[in-house]
Amino acid sequence: MSSWLSHRRALTWLVRKEWRELVASRSWWILLVAMGPLVGVSFISAVRTYAEASGFNGTAVGQGVGEAFSPLIGVWAPTFSACELAAAFLLPFVGIRLVSGDRQSGALKIELQHPGMQSPAVARVSAKALVLLAGWLIASAAPALAVVLWRTYGGSIYPPELVTVVFGHLLNAGLTIALAAATASLTEHPSTAAILTLSVTVGTWIVNFIAAVNGGVWERAAGYTPTAMVAEFQHGLIRLDVVLVALALVVAGLGLSAIWMRLGVPVRRRVNESIALGALTAAVMFACTFFTPSWDTSENRGNSFAEADEEMLKTIRTPLRIEAHLAPEDPRRVDLEHRALSKLRRVMPKTQVHYVSSTTIGLFEQTAPHYGEIWYELGGRKTMSRVTTAEGVLESIYELAGVTPPAEDEASLFRGHPLAVPPKGAATVFYGIWPAVIVATALFVRRRQA
Amino acid sequence: MLHVSNLTKRYGHLTALSEVSCSIRPGEVLGLIGPNGSGKTTLFECLGGVLPADGGSISENGHALTADERKARVFYLPDAIAPWPAQTVHWALEFIAGFFGWRESDTSDTSDTVIADVVRQLDLEPLLDSPIGTLSKGQRKRALLAIGLLTPQPILLADEPFDGLDLRQTREVAGTLRSHAGAGRTMFLSIHQITDAARVCDRFVLLSGGRVCGEGTLDELSRRADRARQGPGASDNLEDVFLALT
Repeated sequence: MSSWLSHRRALTWLVRKEWRELVASRSWWILLVAMGPLVGVSFISAVRTYAEASGFNGTAVGQGVGEAFSPLIGVWAPTFSACELAAAFLLPFVGIRLVSGDRQSGALKIELQHPGMQSPAVARVSAKALVLLAGWLIASAAPALAVVLWRTYGGSIYPPELVTVVFGHLLNAGLTIALAAATASLTEHPSTAAILTLSVTVGTWIVNFIAAVNGGVWERAAGYTPTAMVAEFQHGLIRLDVVLVALALVVAGLGLSAIWMRLGVPVRRRVNESIALGALTAAVMFACTFFTPSWDTSENRGNSFAEADEEMLKTIRTPLRIEAHLAPEDPRRVDLEHRALSKLRRVMPKTQVHYVSSTTIGLFEQTAPHYGEIWYELGGRKTMSRVTTAEGVLESIYELAGVTPPAEDEASLFRGHPLAVPPKGAATVFYGIWPAVIVATALFVRRRQA
Repeated sequence: MLHVSNLTKRYGHLTALSEVSCSIRPGEVLGLIGPNGSGKTTLFECLGGVLPADGGSISENGHALTADERKARVFYLPDAIAPWPAQTVHWALEFIAGFFGWRESDTSDTSDTVIADVVRQLDLEPLLDSPIGTLSKGQRKRALLAIGLLTPQPILLADEPFDGLDLRQTREVAGTLRSHAGAGRTMFLSIHQITDAARVCDRFVLLSGGRVCGEGTLDELSRRADRARQGPGASDNLEDVFLALT
């Protein structure tokens, strides 16, 4: 019991120390200052576009054109994209500074000699991750201000979709923190860690690019990159497999950091432990991909078919097989995926989709026999269609299943929340007040700490 | 008594420590003497668990210590570090006292007293509000020693504790270290200035080229030096003894 108490007390002191170190680091204050203008430029541009689409200054007649007036797509996705930028290009440096700083200054050699602490490296990494996450939450006050401003404009807020976006960016920040902690512990110098972290970020972009060109396994892997993950959350979609894979990566990154942070452990042992951790993480991630539950929290149900269609599809128990003769870069394939198949997989997880193509762009396959055909097979019956819209796909499935399509419920259609209001005061808040308040707070807090 | 047996450390083909053996007695001030590059810091880092040794063992009264057991007995204070450079000396001392457990079962008054004692002994009062990163070499050395003295392990390994200190400060710090040894804490000090070592240490371990060339009190080492010289030397000071044995 006393050992547990001692451990807890030491951990509390570590957290306090990490917090002071974060507050003392210029990199965090720079992140905070930059968050204002970054969020501001995205928010102001998004609100302007939203207002114009809503009929501001007579630009359009804004009367219910569905998705166009969803604050999630029109305002929150672009506004919070500033968080994605900050997480990719600013947060890693804050994390690296916090982890590498101790090695550079020699504090690591002192702290790791705590006599009563079980796994002091794990405790240190946990304390750092906790404080960095808190630091990120404080930085998230900038997009929170955007939410407040939007509300004052009379904008509609649908909490579930907003919470989903925030959660997605928090998870993304967790991934960045874990990556930064791992690279900072693996390398001797912070600049090497920074290069390594950015290389991994660029690497995930390359995976996305290859996936867009080649499809197949790459496409599946690209679904778990931070960019793809954030994009789904920004559309109000929570996929359990994506959340679990992200959490597994966060734990793996922090674990790797703890392995390499320790002192007095032979390099060979650390390498072996890292390999074991990598293998375990890969196995866990693979297992996570089999968890199919997902939740569409968007108000406009942008990731789902109409409720009546979903109810009907759930009654079809026979496995569905789809063979689409479309190249990875063919815009029709992108349409088919986004408008229909991604929604279909959520309702009918056992659906098998098989793409057939000889080229990546499809341009020179247009005249090839069968190109552009989408074959549906259900219970031994087959049908072919070339339509890539949700309605077309559903029609083919209903035809094969021999069921009558449900009647369209006009009342349940999302009509949107048009708002023809300019982003009044936002520029002053994000470009003036926010940076001034952050700089003043930084001066005050740092002076007080000294 | 802590016994180091055949401790070996290699960096690739270079052998930094070759089967180093020595004993550390409770409450003594033991000096590790050796020229630059003799392996003093490497030996301390291996003893402190900061570096993995390639061979050898550390035992206490015949019982080989595990890494955790060693960590509970030995604290290694490195040389030339500036931990938490943005934090003040006062905060760093509070952190060490809190983190290493002074506040664990005692009241914060006890820890404040302990900190105040160390601050007084090392004349740190004027530096308490200064960030560690802004201190001069000598000031930082005193702050580091205060950190080392606040740790709870019974054996303190201090790497070059007098480096950067002037004569007056060296004498004061030597007195402080001796008083802590008198209170029961074992001091193992790595010192390259032999005159400083002679001033403060009870016994010595002479290290040269990663090997132990001698261990004992000045008298014991002098006798050994005489044997090595095949006759009495010019004098019995530590410098001559060191030169004769290394």
